[in-house]
Amino acid sequence: MQKNMILCQQTNISRDFKELRCRKKEAEVEETLKRIQSQKGVQGIIIVNAEGIPIKSTLDNLSTVQYAANIQQLLMKARSMVRDIDPQNDLTFLRVRSKKNEIMIAPDKDYFLIVIQNPTE
Amino acid sequence: MSNTAVKQKRPALKVTKASKTLNVSSGIFRVNQSITKSISRKSFSSVGDSKVLDKSSAQTPKHTVQVFDENGQEVTPQPLYHPDPSVLQSKQGKLFTTHDTSWATMTDIQTTNASFAGPFTRSFFGSISASRTSHSAESVADETEDLLVKQDLSSSLTDVQGPIEQVKEQVMEYILDSVADCYLTETETFWLLDIPAVSVSGDSEDAEAVKKRNDAYIELCKNRQGNDKYVERSMQTFNGAPKTKEVQSDSISMVDKAIMSSTWNMYDSFCSGEVSGETAVSSDGKKAAVLDTSSMSHQPNPEGPDQSTSVVSITSTASSLSSRLEMEAFVLQVEEQPDSELILQSDKFKQDLAVMERVVLENIFQPKLAAYRQLPVIEDPDCARTAEDLESWTEHPFLEHLWAFKCELTMGRNVSSMAWNKRNPDLLAVGYGQFNFKDQKSGLVSCWSLKNPMWPEKIFHCESGVTALDFSACIASQLAVGMYDGSIAIYNTQSTEQTPIIDSSDCANIHTGPVWQVKWIDHETALSGEEKGETLISVSADGRISKWFLRKGLECIDLMKLKKTNMRSERRPKPDKREELFEVLISQHTSGMCFDFHPNDLNIYLAGTEEGQIHKCSYSYNEQFLNTYTAHKGAVYKITWSPFSPDIFLSCSSDWTIHLWRQDLLKPVLSFTSGQKAVYDIMWSPHCATVFGAVSEGRVEIWDLRVSILDPTIVSVTSPGVKATALLFTPETDCVLVGDSEGHVSVYKLENFTSVCSTQQVDTLEDIIQSTLASHL
Repeated sequence: MQKNMILCQQTNISRDFKELRCRKKEAEVEETLKRIQSQKGVQGIIIVNAEGIPIKSTLDNLSTVQYAANIQQLLMKARSMVRDIDPQNDLTFLRVRSKKNEIMIAPDKDYFLIVIQNPTE
Repeated sequence: MSNTAVKQKRPALKVTKASKTLNVSSGIFRVNQSITKSISRKSFSSVGDSKVLDKSSAQTPKHTVQVFDENGQEVTPQPLYHPDPSVLQSKQGKLFTTHDTSWATMTDIQTTNASFAGPFTRSFFGSISASRTSHSAESVADETEDLLVKQDLSSSLTDVQGPIEQVKEQVMEYILDSVADCYLTETETFWLLDIPAVSVSGDSEDAEAVKKRNDAYIELCKNRQGNDKYVERSMQTFNGAPKTKEVQSDSISMVDKAIMSSTWNMYDSFCSGEVSGETAVSSDGKKAAVLDTSSMSHQPNPEGPDQSTSVVSITSTASSLSSRLEMEAFVLQVEEQPDSELILQSDKFKQDLAVMERVVLENIFQPKLAAYRQLPVIEDPDCARTAEDLESWTEHPFLEHLWAFKCELTMGRNVSSMAWNKRNPDLLAVGYGQFNFKDQKSGLVSCWSLKNPMWPEKIFHCESGVTALDFSACIASQLAVGMYDGSIAIYNTQSTEQTPIIDSSDCANIHTGPVWQVKWIDHETALSGEEKGETLISVSADGRISKWFLRKGLECIDLMKLKKTNMRSERRPKPDKREELFEVLISQHTSGMCFDFHPNDLNIYLAGTEEGQIHKCSYSYNEQFLNTYTAHKGAVYKITWSPFSPDIFLSCSSDWTIHLWRQDLLKPVLSFTSGQKAVYDIMWSPHCATVFGAVSEGRVEIWDLRVSILDPTIVSVTSPGVKATALLFTPETDCVLVGDSEGHVSVYKLENFTSVCSTQQVDTLEDIIQSTLASHL
C-alpha cells in the first residue's frame, strides 16, 4: 500500500515537473515575444501554423489574415525555388524589404513566424 | 374520292377525341392507323383546300408574265391543263408540303382542342410530324393504289410540274388541217407488289429437283424416329423468380489532388522512402513494380488540425497473378498536425524567436554595429538625416558612444568585471557585484552577444556579488566566476542550466575573502609541451594566490601567500631580513588585489597587494618573492603587462596614480595622474603599444604616450553619480567598453584616433622610456 502511495506521489511529482517546465517554456516564449514587440519600429508579430491559420497575432484580424495568406504563398514559392536548385538545401529565413517596412519571415515545417518592422521610425 | 375526303372533313371534329390520346407522350406512336388516315385525309383536304386557294390566287396574276419572240408575237407558254376549280387535287402535293400538313393539323387540333397543353415543344411536334409523315406516306401509297387510274395520274403528274399557266391557244388554221400522228407506247411495268412464291408448279423445270428434295427430307424425318443416331432430348431451364432489390450507396466524395513534381519532391520521397520503407521484393520475375508515390508535404489537411493523416502509397504490379506477390508499402511523411500549444513550446520555435529578435535588433542597430565592426556605415535612404550628424565633425580624437548593454535586470548593479570570450569575439561576459562591504546584494553574470544589445543571451544568478570573471581558452564555453564570499564557480555558458558545473563550496580551504581576480592559465602546456589543459589561478583578499584543479571537486593549493611587509621597516633598512618577521602583526597576510602573468614567460607573475606593493613571484617557488616594487600608496587595483613590450607593465591604484614600470627597475619609469579619484581599472590597447585606457570614478581616459605623457588624449566624463568601474578594449576593433555602477556597459568607438599598430610603436615606447630615464639622471 505504501509502495503504491509512493509511486503515486512520484508520478504526481514528475507530472508537476513537466507542467512546470511547460509553463516555464511558455513564460520564456511569452517574454521573448513581448521583448520583440517592444523593440523600436516593430509593427506586428504573427505566428501561423502549417495550414495557414494564424495562431497568435498582435495585429488586427483583417491584416493578420491578409499577411498570413499572402506570405504562405510566397513562402511556398521561395522554398520550392531553393530546393529546386539543390534539393538538399532548404529555406531558413526570408526578408522582404519594402518602401514602408520590412517583413521578416522565419519558416519551419510546422509553422512560420512573421515580424513586420519599420526600422526608420 | 376527293369528294369523300371533302365530306370527311366535316366529321373532323371527331378527331378531338383522338387528339386527347395524343396528350400522352408515348401514346402518339400508338395512334391507330385509321385515325392517322382520317387525320391525313383531313390534312389532304385541308391542304387541298389551301392548294385550291393557292391555285385560284395563282390564276389571277397570270397576266403579269409575258414572253415575246422576235416577231413580236406573244409566245408565253400557256398551261396545257385547265383544272376544274371544283375538283380537288392535292394528293401528290402532299409529298412536298408535309411540314405544312403537319403544322396545319397541329394548328387545327390546337384550335379545336383547347385542352392541348402548351408544354409540348416544337421538337415534339417535329417528332409527331415525322411519325405522321411516315404514316401519311403510307396512306398516300394506299391512296394511289386505290386510284390506279391514268387520268388521276396524269392529273397528278401535271400537278407535280408545278403551277402551269394557262396558255392561250392560238388556234391556227394550218394546225387544225394537218394530220397529227399519235403514237401510243407502252411504258415499262411498275412493280407495285412482289411476293415470291413458295410453291412451284408441277410443270416447271425445277419441279423435279424440288420433288426430290422434298422426298429426301421426308425420308430423313422418318428415319429419325427409331434411329440410334438421333436422340431427342429436351431441356427446360428454370427461370428464377426475379426480385427487385434496391441498394443505395453513399455519395462518393471526390477530392481533387494534384502535385507538381519538382526536383525536391522527388528527392524528398526518395529519402523518406529509404529511411522508413520496408521493401519486400516480389521474387517471381514479374514485371517491375510501378511506384505510385504521392507526397503530401504541403497539402492542407481538410480533416482538421487534430487528426493525423498518414499517406501510404502502395506499389502495384502490372500482373498480380501469383498469390505470393508481396506488396511494397512506402509510408511517406506521417503528418501530425501539431496544435498551436505544441508549436509555441517547441524548441525550434524558441530558436526561431531568438533569431528573429536578433534580426529585428540588427535592423535597429545596424549603423552602430557597422561602426563597431569598422564597416562603412551605409545610410538608410529612407531615413531622414538629422541635424546631429552635421555638428559632430571635429578633428579631435573623441569617444563616440555607440550603444550600451543594459536591461532591466542589470539596473542598479555595479559592473565589476568583464571578459571577452576567447573563441567567439562577439560574446561578452559581464559580472555584477558591489565592491563595498556595506551594500552587498546577490550577484549576476550575464553573457551578452553583440548581435543582441538589448537582452543578454544568458543570465546566471549568483548568491553573492561577482567580483571576477574569466573565460577559458581551452573550453571556450567555460566561465570562471569569483565571488565576494570567496567562492569560485565554473559555469557552462552553452547549457541552459542555471547552476554552475562545479563550484568550490566543497573545498576545504576556499578563500575566506572576496576573490578579486581569476584567470585561466595554460601553464601545463607551456611547461611540458603537451596539452594538459588549463589551470585556474585566483587571488583573494585573504592573501592567497591559489591554483585550482579538479579532483573530487574543485580543490586548490596555494601558489603564494602574500605576506605583509612592514612599511616602517623600509625606512630603516636592515641588513638582516629575518628581523622583520619578528614584528608582531595582526595578520601575516595582506590582501591580494590583482595579479598578472607574464605573457611570454608563464613562470613569472606579478601580484598587487592592498598595501600598495607589487611583488614579482615565481610560479614554482612559493616561499619568497623575487622582487618587490613599491611606489603606490594605496591599494593596487590592477596590474597589466604590456602586450607588445615584454618588460613594461602598468599598475593603477587608489592613490589616483598610474605607474609605468620596467621589469628591472624597482622604481616606476612614468607616472600618470589626471584626476583626483581612485583609478579602478587600466588596460593596454591590444592594437597600439603606446595607448592604454583607464577608468576612474568619474572619467574614462585614453592615454596615448606618443601624443603626451602628461595628459590623457581623450577624457570622457561620465554622468554625475555614475562611477565607471571597468574597462575593456575590444580585441579586434578600435572600440572600448566601459562598465559603470549603474549596470550599463557602454560601447565607445575611438574616433579620429590614429592607432596603427606597428613595430614603430614599440620602438616609440622604448624611446620614450629611454628619454625619460635619461632625463631622470
